[in-house]
Amino acid sequence: MVIMKRTFLFSALLATSASLTHSFASDSSFPTPTPPANAVPTRIAGELGGPGLAVKTRKALAVPLEGVQFVDNAVLLVKDGKIVGLGPAATTPIPSDFEVVDAGEQWIMPGMIDLHSHVGGTFDINEMVYLTNPGLRVSASVIPHNDTLKVTVASGVTTILFIPGSGVNVGGQGILMKIGLDRFEEALVRNPGSMKLAQAGNPEGWTVGIGRSFMNWNTRAMFSRGVLYAKKWDDFEKGQGSKPERNFDLDIFRELYSKRTQISTHTQIYQVVMTTLTMVKKQFGLDVYIDHGEMAGYKLAGFAKDLGVNAILGPRNVEVPTRQFINWTGSNPEGILGIAAEYQKRGMKMIGFNTDAPVIPAEELFLQASMAVRHGFDATNLESVRGLTIVPAVTSGIADRVGSLEVGKDADFVIMTGDPADPRTSVSRVFTNGKRIYDTAKDKRLF
Amino acid sequence: MSSSASGGARSASTAFVFASCTFVAFSNAAFAFESRSPKAGEKGSEIGLALKVRKALVVGTEGDSFVDNAVVIVKNGVIEAVGPVRTTPIPSSYEVIDQSARWLAPGFVDLHCHIAGSLSDLNDTVYLTNPELHASAAVTPENSALKLAVAGGVTSVLFIPGSGSNMGGQGILLKTGLPTFEEMRIRDPGSLKLAQAGNPERWAIGVGRSHMNWNTRNTFERGLAYAKAWDRFEKGAAPAPERNIQWDIFRDLYSKKTQVSTHTQRYQVVLATLTMVRVGFGLDVYIDHGEWFGSKLAAYAQKIGVNAIVGPREVDVPSSAIDTDGRILGIAASYQQNGHKNIGFNTDSPVVPQEELSVQAAVAVRYGFDDSRQDSMRGLTIVPAKTAGIAHRVGSLAPGKDADFIVSTGDPLDPRNSIEIVFIEGRRVYDAAVEKRRW
Repeated sequence: MVIMKRTFLFSALLATSASLTHSFASDSSFPTPTPPANAVPTRIAGELGGPGLAVKTRKALAVPLEGVQFVDNAVLLVKDGKIVGLGPAATTPIPSDFEVVDAGEQWIMPGMIDLHSHVGGTFDINEMVYLTNPGLRVSASVIPHNDTLKVTVASGVTTILFIPGSGVNVGGQGILMKIGLDRFEEALVRNPGSMKLAQAGNPEGWTVGIGRSFMNWNTRAMFSRGVLYAKKWDDFEKGQGSKPERNFDLDIFRELYSKRTQISTHTQIYQVVMTTLTMVKKQFGLDVYIDHGEMAGYKLAGFAKDLGVNAILGPRNVEVPTRQFINWTGSNPEGILGIAAEYQKRGMKMIGFNTDAPVIPAEELFLQASMAVRHGFDATNLESVRGLTIVPAVTSGIADRVGSLEVGKDADFVIMTGDPADPRTSVSRVFTNGKRIYDTAKDKRLF
Repeated sequence: MSSSASGGARSASTAFVFASCTFVAFSNAAFAFESRSPKAGEKGSEIGLALKVRKALVVGTEGDSFVDNAVVIVKNGVIEAVGPVRTTPIPSSYEVIDQSARWLAPGFVDLHCHIAGSLSDLNDTVYLTNPELHASAAVTPENSALKLAVAGGVTSVLFIPGSGSNMGGQGILLKTGLPTFEEMRIRDPGSLKLAQAGNPERWAIGVGRSHMNWNTRNTFERGLAYAKAWDRFEKGAAPAPERNIQWDIFRDLYSKKTQVSTHTQRYQVVLATLTMVRVGFGLDVYIDHGEWFGSKLAAYAQKIGVNAIVGPREVDVPSSAIDTDGRILGIAASYQQNGHKNIGFNTDSPVVPQEELSVQAAVAVRYGFDDSRQDSMRGLTIVPAKTAGIAHRVGSLAPGKDADFIVSTGDPLDPRNSIEIVFIEGRRVYDAAVEKRRW
């Protein structure tokens, strides 16, 4: 335990120094994404450098973006932290040197992904010196596999987008990270994982006199400057202009402009979802998604779908009747409405779920999908499972590594007693990068 | 599945409009005592009601008991028949409701409820034992918490005093969704509420479990002596005793017309429930609000016929206050693994919201409760019904029982499904298709 704490401390320091180093010493502002190959080789089956691992299961929820969604009586093959095979046990030979884990009647699925999390480290993620802070990085706050994340992993979540809070319009840059791994480099999936934008609601408390009109102008002005800055660098790199002056505040826009990262938008009521779609997506042409999607934003679901803006929903997955204010959310349903069902009804197919942890505990991500189904979300074709896995993976641009059980992807998977969206199901084992990071047979049951 | 379910809803839409008119009449009836003509299937109606469903969970006393493609036939507020559509004739005069995409199950029974009336009047702690107080004096029909209870499928509750003293008074067994006190009442007294460790210790400084145990025992001794004196008089063996309304509840207990419902959770007080109340005084008693390590006594409780109604904590989490091995443990699973066969669930509403009773069972399954033989559904219906002595009226789908049931989009124990229609005594008391969806 003491050793582990030292590791945390070391990682946190490392994160800080890494970001400082990159800010001042390197032209390329961001560290290259580090594959799990950077992990320390072991001789444990499934892990990097170890023998292969074969998992036999009653049902494998593969959930690729397209194609066959599940395999009955399946075997999953893992080698060096990667998936090397998946198929029916009857027709999929297990290499003789692979260690076999028989999950019996239990099911497996890809590790879950939460694109709205604030529990990846310390809570220094809501700095509100300015209304827009595109230069701030939550990577400076990461504590891999902290105590909260240990419980999170026990529920089957293996990847999170750890992002700044919504106290201001642009809180800074998120980081996509694995959980369950102790070292920062090993946990890192992509940095910057996103630029966090927040519109109505919380930022209005920044100071007296700030309303949505000013915030909209201020945010738009900053985006204009940022995109202009990115274009100048792009022109320079193409040999079409002089070298622009470096501006650390706006470097994130180079990532956004080149589509190496996305804007994750805390956007919920009608008018600000509209802004997300018209300003960020149409006017600036940036990759953006609805994150923390709730309330009456669903009324724009058809428009969002047409623009290719995905919807990650939560932490409120229902719209409840309310009459106490002057219709401030833009919606007053007569009965309880399911947010995901309303998005789905309007044609949105890419629907995912988030927790806003710790607002909803990170380990209760799957319950967001359960709630959606309870309130009318059609999950006949595993939409509830997809919303926890492949949809957020595609949305955040990391589907090459996570989000489904497909050959070549990271071996992040969960063994559990049944359908993950059924709260009666419990998780028995979790693997990240082929490492068995949680096992109720030997660890304490945490959730 | 959802499209066929909505198709079913459309086909019955005329009946639904009827039901919404009924609702207006309900709310007026509570205040104005207007007469209201009964609808098909209700008490006093000449017309019966037949519901066609995909699956009817009949719920027996053991095993997995259901009928696929079933019809449930109701007349005069009571179930007449349950059987397969193909072999069960529906009388031609009966109104037919087609819900053949949905499931039907008995209404749920919660034996630990504090929301059927004014909460502030349920915890009068003038004395440490108050066997004479009646929760019936606090009942408020159709209150907002009860409306949610109905939407959650809870049709019967034991509305009981709080646990601020060792004996908070007498509970009352009620139907949740009916508009007047007389219609709601199933049995009064529904129980004598006993509470041991925990909350009563706050009654005054210097009161601990030893004094409470002595004082409670003393109350039982005196109450039962009174009951026995009346029993001897009624058998002609002794002169009439002096009436003492403080002790009258013990006559009901002594003659097994009601039970002791015990807020009992820790090992030592569950042991006191079993040895003192059951073995010592020979009264009908059950573990209510069962949690923590009371489950270590499960085999003994089963042997002497003391049922276990568990909740509102369905899990033991590692803590310094409670002796655990460091893992999260399921309470119901622990009772079950230690040999108990009659396990039910309660909410302690509003501690856990009344409408979340079925979630208590889902959590139990998540934490290891074996549900392969319908035991979680049984724990919400027939087990509490038998435990409270009202299984002749509620708790399963059997001819002659009250027509209290729920219609849901699938297995009602799976929180992904929702309850769409609720009937109590043949009355449609909730229908998400015609009014606001409450839960």
